[in-house]
Amino acid sequence: MCGLAHIFESQGFSTVLVGFVKEHIEIIKPPRALWLNFPMGRPLGKPNNPEFQKKVIRTAFDLLEKSSGPVLDDFSEVIPVREGRMSYALPVSLVYKVNQLGNIDKLAEQVQMELSNLLPDYFKALQNVGRTTVGASELEISEFVPFISEFAKGNKPKSPRKGLPAIPLLKLVVEDLNAVYTETRIYKDKIDDFEMLGKWFWEETHAGKLLLAVEAVSLESKDQVLRQIASMSLLTPRFWSEGPLPGISGSGWT
Amino acid sequence: MVLVRDMPAVGRGFIERLEPPDIKNFYWTKPSPKNSRKVAVISTAAVSKRGDRPFSWLARDHRVIGKNDRDLVMTHVAVEYDRTAWQLDINTILPLDRLDEMAKDNEIGSVAEKHYTFMGAADPRDMEKSALEVSSEMKKEAVDTVFLVPV
Repeated sequence: MCGLAHIFESQGFSTVLVGFVKEHIEIIKPPRALWLNFPMGRPLGKPNNPEFQKKVIRTAFDLLEKSSGPVLDDFSEVIPVREGRMSYALPVSLVYKVNQLGNIDKLAEQVQMELSNLLPDYFKALQNVGRTTVGASELEISEFVPFISEFAKGNKPKSPRKGLPAIPLLKLVVEDLNAVYTETRIYKDKIDDFEMLGKWFWEETHAGKLLLAVEAVSLESKDQVLRQIASMSLLTPRFWSEGPLPGISGSGWT
Repeated sequence: MVLVRDMPAVGRGFIERLEPPDIKNFYWTKPSPKNSRKVAVISTAAVSKRGDRPFSWLARDHRVIGKNDRDLVMTHVAVEYDRTAWQLDINTILPLDRLDEMAKDNEIGSVAEKHYTFMGAADPRDMEKSALEVSSEMKKEAVDTVFLVPV
């Protein structure tokens, strides 16, 4: 983001950025930057809080009044996080081995049942909120679990979406399934707590267990891309974990 | 975000190993007067209009978001950030409603018709060609102020 600021400034635009990684801002020195001590994923800070969001924008735009730069200021308010992590992270101990997975068909049935129970509230949420973030995969919700389950069984299904191979599609379906669950829970229980929502989805639902099964199978897959996205924690949230997946250095990010 | 030294091991290790771009020249464009600024948002959240091509994992290209587009999906490769915030309120990552309110209150001049999104996981050096295309589009719209928002 800091690099983009330099490009746009060179093209005659006045740029101002809000940023998360202060050490990078200090090195790359964009013309005007406001450092946010917020969790990642919420650069304007607080959802459904227009005044807080405008305070962030106004503070950033105040930097446009400076006569020279680079200028880096800290936003005055902090949104605290737990143990330095910027989002939910799976416990290091919660990793399955393929031989622990049990019957995937039975697990898939449990996920379908769980999902069926959530859907009435999901559709109520959609009707009342007026938007959903579900749909990046472009699959129907009813297709999510069968598609994901094939990977958990060690198969690589044919992609039903033209122009998008099965593995990139898997990633989008995983995120869509997660979003159905979290959007429903947010609406039903009026929650804004990503730690709680992450713990619930990944550690307490059958859907979370199915995705951890996909991770376990993928880590032992002969398919290099599948193995790589699992080891790089692109399917499961391990980036902010205290330690890497067993046997993998730095969660595969090395 | 907390300082890198205060992060847990895996994320800290990754961020410490990132190689920042080497910026050769420093540019400084004098801003327009406050209440005449035309503002466009550049986001690296890899969001796009429903039905647009998804971003590839290290995409160098960009997508265009109209001023009134709210039916968006995200195809960012990374899962290390909270996605519940934008489920709750799109303005948490793309503050178009807030900018519109600020324009109505004369705090800024106006909000551009077009805004642009990139895949934040890609190396910014690889995005230059696309950023120059975006610059050309913004010039056509007489944008003079760019608000860069990460995710």
